[in-house]
Amino acid sequence: MRILSRAALLVALLAAWQLASLGGLPDYLLPPLEIAKDFAQALGTSELYGHIAASLGRAVPGFLAGAIAGSALGLLAGVRRGFDETVSPLVFLTYPVPKIVLLPLFMLWFGIGDLSKILIIALACFYPMYINAYYGARATPRILVWSARNMGASGAQIFRRVVLPAALPYLFAGLRVALALSFIVMFAAEMINARSGLGHLIRDSESSLRFDLMYVALLSIALLGYAGDRLLRYARARALVWQETHA
Amino acid sequence: MKVLRPLILVAFILAAWQITAKSGLWSPILFPPLERIGRELFIFATSWDGAVQTWVSLYRAFAGFGAAALVGGLLGLVMGRSPVVAGMLDPLFSGTYAVPKLALFPIFIFIFGLGSLSKVALVFLECLYPMVIITSQGARNVPKALLWSAENMGASRWTTLRRVVLPATMPYVFAALRVALPVALIVVVITEMISSVDGLGYLISYSLASLKTDRILAIVVVISALGLALDRGLVMLRDRLVYWEKLDTYYA
Repeated sequence: MRILSRAALLVALLAAWQLASLGGLPDYLLPPLEIAKDFAQALGTSELYGHIAASLGRAVPGFLAGAIAGSALGLLAGVRRGFDETVSPLVFLTYPVPKIVLLPLFMLWFGIGDLSKILIIALACFYPMYINAYYGARATPRILVWSARNMGASGAQIFRRVVLPAALPYLFAGLRVALALSFIVMFAAEMINARSGLGHLIRDSESSLRFDLMYVALLSIALLGYAGDRLLRYARARALVWQETHA
Repeated sequence: MKVLRPLILVAFILAAWQITAKSGLWSPILFPPLERIGRELFIFATSWDGAVQTWVSLYRAFAGFGAAALVGGLLGLVMGRSPVVAGMLDPLFSGTYAVPKLALFPIFIFIFGLGSLSKVALVFLECLYPMVIITSQGARNVPKALLWSAENMGASRWTTLRRVVLPATMPYVFAALRVALPVALIVVVITEMISSVDGLGYLISYSLASLKTDRILAIVVVISALGLALDRGLVMLRDRLVYWEKLDTYYA
């Protein structure tokens, strides 16, 4: 019942949309039921899976590379002052810069294939991960570090048993931002230049006025984004059992 | 010393770039030397066209950003103070939060046309999310003691809203603005790269088509400087308006 009332607005919007289509909508606004029908149909073909695989083949490696590099360097900056003072100002300074503008350069350097797209996604994901890991490591309660040191823990032990757990909530916050970014950048890169993937599919169907395919691509990307976010929230709940979640 | 250290890194990167460019191993199309980037930057900065394209991009970013700030701020305020409205709208916003709104761009083109409006609409939509989510969080977290005190002292609902809720939410509003502003810039540049005949994003695609890498890099410098300047401006405005609390989004 609670779920029903929560979804009430969404259902009402979809119903209004469907009803409006009876009165005649422009060609490019397909009614929801028809989109659902097209989507079910597309799920039966192999073409859609090919595009999804191509998109994920870019987003996932880029996301992982950016997340790993960002959290490693961010944590390092959080615990090593010299590194922090050298690298952090540059990272913070270039944070508000839209990374996608480098895509044309990456295409020249690394080719127009998948590598340039993966690297630009990794670059975009690097920033939120670095910044969150940095502040996560910095937010470690001093008293815990002192106690651990007092009890004779080594530097590596302190990092693994004290700093890392303290930074984990921040790391997950960073992952959530990075995941959303990886989808946006993947989609943008595919719309700008690609021969496969959901971004390409949406561009292709747009220019050939295949509105049904356009909505299929749109719905696929929406579901993928939603599923990825859910997966991350689930992992977070598992990894941070001691922390109450307020997301 | 503290100021010098980041400069060392920047100097190192620039030197490495220049050595790569001058080594002759790669074509200057791949790694144009710094002086050529500088020359393109000078041409851009002194030409009338450069100013016009910058203005076009800024105009689109600000139109969408401003509308989202206004609508999202108000919506967030209402959602934070009214559980009924929050119960209705919250699932909608948190459910579609992770969905890349950029995917709607082709449809927006059909609805709003190829010109500025489709881009402004997409900027608005992308900026609306951080505005609503962060502002509503702030409006919800107004200290109870303050609300009770105001009520006790006989403040009307309107006075409470204006003198207690609004000031308590303002730091969050600025935090939201700081998240939304770079998003606005990103979306404008992306949409201009995908489909446009003007703006900075278009200049990048155009320069790529003619393999003018030095010009691409000059425009990248311009966009970076814009992003930085706007962010700094917002921080300065925040420090003047909400001087009592500096709530940070990315902590700089």
